[in-house]
Parts: sequence; C-alpha cells; structure tokens
Amino acid sequence: MRANKIVLSELKIFPWQRTLHEWLSIDAPVLVYMAKVIIAALLALWIAMKLNMPDPRTAIFTVFIVMQPQSGLVFAKSYYRVLGTIAGVGISLVIVGMFSQDPLWFITFFALWIGLTTAAGFKYRNFQFYGFVLAGYTLCIVALPVIETPLDVFDIAVSRFSEVIVGIMCATVVSDVIFPRRLLDSLISSEQERFYNVLTTLSDPTAVFAAFDDTNPSVSRFSNGVVGLNAVRVNSSFESGADRKERHHYQHLNHEYMNLSTTFHSLKSIISAIKDRERTELLSALERLYAPIVSALKTRPDTVLTPEDLNRVLSELLEAKKGVQREYEYERLAFEREDEFTSAAYLIIRLLNELYNHCSTYLSLLKHRLSGDASQSLRVVQFSTHTDNVLVGLAALRGSGVLLLTMLFWIWTAWPYATLTITMAVVIGLLLGTLPSPLDGVKDFFKGSVIALIVAAVYDFYLIPAYTSDLLTLGLLLAPTLAFIGWMTTKPKLPIFSFGFVFMFMSQCALDPFYKIEPIKFLESSLAALIGVIFGGLAYLLVNFWSCSLTQKRVAKILRRQIVSVCEGALNIERSALESTGRDLVQQFSTQGRLNMRSSRLVFEWLLTTLEIGRAVLAIRRSLQRLYLQYQPPGIDSVLDSIKNYFEAPTLSGRERVLMQLHTSLQTLHEAQMPLEKAQLKRMQTLIVEMALIRTVLLNSSTFPVLTEDSCR
Amino acid sequence: MPLDITLFGIQMPTLLPIFVVTAVIQILLDRVMSDAGIYNHVWHPGLFRTAVFVCLFSIPCLLIYR
Repeated sequence: MRANKIVLSELKIFPWQRTLHEWLSIDAPVLVYMAKVIIAALLALWIAMKLNMPDPRTAIFTVFIVMQPQSGLVFAKSYYRVLGTIAGVGISLVIVGMFSQDPLWFITFFALWIGLTTAAGFKYRNFQFYGFVLAGYTLCIVALPVIETPLDVFDIAVSRFSEVIVGIMCATVVSDVIFPRRLLDSLISSEQERFYNVLTTLSDPTAVFAAFDDTNPSVSRFSNGVVGLNAVRVNSSFESGADRKERHHYQHLNHEYMNLSTTFHSLKSIISAIKDRERTELLSALERLYAPIVSALKTRPDTVLTPEDLNRVLSELLEAKKGVQREYEYERLAFEREDEFTSAAYLIIRLLNELYNHCSTYLSLLKHRLSGDASQSLRVVQFSTHTDNVLVGLAALRGSGVLLLTMLFWIWTAWPYATLTITMAVVIGLLLGTLPSPLDGVKDFFKGSVIALIVAAVYDFYLIPAYTSDLLTLGLLLAPTLAFIGWMTTKPKLPIFSFGFVFMFMSQCALDPFYKIEPIKFLESSLAALIGVIFGGLAYLLVNFWSCSLTQKRVAKILRRQIVSVCEGALNIERSALESTGRDLVQQFSTQGRLNMRSSRLVFEWLLTTLEIGRAVLAIRRSLQRLYLQYQPPGIDSVLDSIKNYFEAPTLSGRERVLMQLHTSLQTLHEAQMPLEKAQLKRMQTLIVEMALIRTVLLNSSTFPVLTEDSCR
Repeated sequence: MPLDITLFGIQMPTLLPIFVVTAVIQILLDRVMSDAGIYNHVWHPGLFRTAVFVCLFSIPCLLIYR
C-alpha cells in the first residue's frame, strides 16, 4: 500500500520534474547568460558615460566581444584584448608621430604592421590570435581618424584604451560573480566522457579487429578532440580554482590519449592489411593475444568512476600485461619471422602499456580532485604546434593587400568616410581569416551588418529621440536588443552573423554622451562600412588559390620533412612533440585547406604513417647509440640513410630499395648472435621490432609519400 | 599622497599606477591561493576573488582620498 503511494506520487511529480530538469539544464543557462550580458553591457555604458568618455560605445562593444558563457573564455579573451590594445595604441602613437606628414611612409609602415600582425596571429592559437589581430586593427581605429590633426592622437589613444578597460572590467566581473559557469567543469566532463569512451572502445574486440568503417562511432570518435581539448585547458588556466597540478594532469591525459589513439589506429591499419590478405591464422593469433585486455576491461565501471573502481581496473590490466606476454611467447614460436606479426604484437603490447599509464594518470587526477594528494608526480609535457609558413605568408599578403587597396580607394575618392572603409576591410581581412570558409563568413557578416543598420536606424531616429530622457530610459530601451544579441551569440550557427550585427549596431547606434540627429553622417558611414565589408570579401575571393591538391601536396611535403629531420636531427625529440605537432598541423590544414572527405581520410593515414615511422626511427637510433660495439649489426646506418633519401625525394624505385634493405637487414638481425646481457638484448629486440614495424607500415601505405591517386576529384 | 603624479612627463591620476600595481599583486596572490587549494573551501570563488581585489585596491585609495 505504502509502496504504491510512493510510486503514484513519483509518477505524479515525474513529468514536470523532468521538464523542469531539462529547462534548468538547457534553457536556464541561456537566459542567465542573456541577463549577464545585459547587466555587463549597461554597467559598461553607465560607467563610460559617467566618466565622460568620448566614445562609450567602444566600452559596450568590448563587453560583447569578450562575453562568453564560460568565465575562463572571458578572462582569456580579455587578457589578449588588453595586450592587443596596448600594442595597437602604442604603435599608433609611434606611426602618427613619425610619419603623419609623409603619406608614402605612413602607408608603407601601416601595411607592414598589418602584415606582421596577421602573420603573427596566424602562427598562434586560441585567443592569442585575437590579440595580434586586435593590435593590427586598433591602428586603423586610432590613427586614421586623426590623420588631418595628428596632435589629437594622444587623446584618442588614451580614450580608446580606457574605454576598452572599462568594458573588460565589467565583462569579467559580471561573468565571474553572477552565476559563474566554469570552463574547468566542462573540461572535467569531456575528459570523463573521453576516458569512458577509451575503455569502451578497447574492451570491444570487434572495434579493434573489424575493418575500417566510418559508421562505427566509437572508432571515428577515437581521434578527435586532442587539439580542441588542449585549447580548453589553456583557456581554463585563467579561472579561479584551477590549480597548476590539476591542469598538469589534464595536459598529461591529453598526451596519453593522443599516443593511445595513434597506437590504436596504427594497429587497426596493420590488422586491416592482414585481413585484406586473408591470413586467418595470423589474425586469430593476434585475437588471442588481445583477449587478456578484453577480459581485463570487462569489469570496467559504468558511469561514475571512483578511485576504488579504477584501482581494480589497474590491477586487472597488470594481470593482462602478464597474460599478453605469455601469449606472445607462445605465439612467437609460429610467427617468429613474420614482420606483420612482430609489429602487430608490438603494437598490442604498446597499447596495453599506454592504456595502463592513462588509467593510472586518471586515477591520480581523481585522487587529487577528491583529497588533494595526487599519487603521481608528472613530467612536464609541452603541446607543440606547427604552422605552415606558406599559409602564414598568404595571410600576411591578404592583410597588407586589402589595406593597400582600400588606401588607394581612399586617396582616389578623397571621401572623408573612407577611413571607415579601410577599418572595416582590415577587420574582415584579419578576423575571419582562420574560419573554415571565410567567404561564407563574409556573407554572414554582411547580412548581419545590414540588419543591424536597420535596427540602428530605428533606434537613432525614432526610439532614442522619442523615449529617452536619461541613462535609465536609454538602458531600458537598449535592453531588448542587447538580450537579442546575447541570445544570438549562444547559437552555434550564427557566430559571424551576430558578430556583424554587433559590430555594425554598436558603431552606428547613437550612444554618444550627447544625442545629435545626423542622418547624412549615418548614411555615409554605413555605406562606407558596407563597402569595407565588400573589399574584405574581395580579398578572400582573390587570395584563395588554395586548392585541395595543393593542400595535399603541402601536407605531404611537411610530413616528409619531419621524417627527414628525425633521421638526421637531434635525438632528444620527444614522441609527444612529434605527435602534437603533426596533429596540430593536420587540424589546421583541414580547416584552412579545402579537403574533401576522402582526402582528409588520406591525410590522417599519412599522419599515422609519419608518426609511426618517425617514432620508430628515433627508437632505432637511440638503441644503436647504446648498443655495445660488438653487437652493432652492420648496415643499419645505410637503411636509415635510404629511408631519409626516400622521404627526401620519393620515387617508386626508392621505395623498393628501402623495403629490400629493411628485409635483408632484418634477416641478418634474426640470424645474429643475441647478447646475453638483459639490457643489450632488449635493445637488439627493439631494433628488430622497430625495423619490422617500419617495413609493415611502408608496405601498407600505398599513397604516402609517393602520391599515386588523385583523391581530389 | 597627492591626487596626481607625473610619470615620464605625463600627468596622470595616482589611482592608475595603484591599479596596475594592485592588479599584479592580485595575479600573484591568485596563483598562490589556487595552488594552495583555498578556492576549494570558498563558497563562491569568483566573488571571493573580486572581493579580495576590491580590498587590495581600496586600501591605498582610502589613503589618498582621506
């Protein structure tokens, strides 16, 4: 009876409870964010007007630029906005002071500065990019309006700087004090999801041994997010309460995940090659080798992880290590001389080791979060990045080019409002450069600006003169539009549209300390800004000879160069540096270059090939260095040399030669006398395994480094 | 203390250099406190952080405007 009652009451509450929960988790944050945006913007407007700043709209515009739902992002963006503004204001003082009488030098240095900031912005990631871009276009905002009266530059510079600071202070304080949403929390949840995903994927033997197919979600999920999560981690460092040790753990987890996913994909590609050749007995041997891992992961915890659960998984994995080793010793008798078996078995063992390390780092993180003492002390690992210089040069060319073009337009028409055209074109040319498809971005921006102009006109000529008498009424009147902008920025589909809207609305709305009706100025400046947007779009249309096949060639060239440098360069390159550079590079090319699905798949395979070969070459060179002279097998140096030559100038005959040489030196290694000393024996075995791995990877990769098929069609 | 000071030939309110110095102190203090795990014991870390900054900034301000 009583139980019945409880069930009944639960049923009664259940529907609207669920609705409430859904509303709280999905709709409420948006509403809170909108409220935060309104409060921050009006606060900035109020302070700027109270302090009699000449241009309060810069303050309110700054609020909209830096405002994001998570406070870590706000801090990061604010930080770089301050730095960028300081640099831009400083350089404007210098340039106006030195060259204001000499148009030629003025324009030359202007173009150089824009080119420099674009290039630097392209080289850096995250919001650092934004800082550089801002340093570039602040010069336009400060220096161009005072070109007739250079002595005013100091006033404009000071007021611009203080307005930006006011906006930033309001945005950061509001976002951190009123219902803060921490970036670290989202980092925690996505890390948890990823870890769980790793365990699920690896516990499923079909995910490992099935053929490559893009429909299996766990497999395709197992590679993305490395670069993105790193960015989140970097930005969360500005938040309160994220101590260094915890961030350190995240960095480590990201690296281990990266290594794990490389190993996983390499293993899969070798297995699919074995499958294509229909060698069932080899395949089933490998499956037996993998079986201990599957059974160890059977007891994995489901959703909520506790340190005890993880400890159990760790001990099971330790058991699995022994099991795999036993199986390996047994199966080796049959497949001793098979390169494919050697490399696949090596990859399985490596996968297990990396999984073990990943789990223990995660355990350490859990312990640290729960009780404050981590069980592991971690090495510092760096996430290195690589940007292609051709891309950077292209972007710099575009930035300077659009500036020169609009400068010509200004000189030619002698239109006083053309300075706005220049500013707008430079902003477009700089800010939208890193988007996946800048031209579509410019179109969105244009649409946003046109709609903003209509709204601003309604405000300027009807609402503000008719209904405002003081700051309070102005704030009330502005609030709906501000809320609308806030709502737009939470929509992932409208970022550029809303950016265009904010930009135009803020620059055209009459938010001056003293209201004036100036329809002619409104029309002329709007026209100038829209022309600027068109010029910016034109730049993207013209400087865009970046086709799919060209991207492929560039990527292949850079990856090849990486292997060459590994073959002859210093030995102290870490595997993590190799991996993060490669991933960052490929990520950048797949957003910048125009790659279709098939080509991006190919590029990912090339990346794997490069990473495996690069790592193997490093391991071989290290073992050779530490091997005693009497055990040094002859001819390995020449193998490395021919690998290097092959990747420097890839030809089909070079490929044959490398494969041949690898084969013969593997033969001699197998027949060579094995040293008795344990460490030396291990190095010899490393040599064999790594050479076999290189050979297998080279045999499997049919499109890299010799490009045989055209996937861009 | 005077209300205005001159730095490198530019006259500016004394509040400005005070603000910059306080901001630097605040950043260092924030790092120390987060590494020590103080923020884990605070109800509202953001508010706490803001309040600390307000205290740091207003003490010298009171000295000037007294």
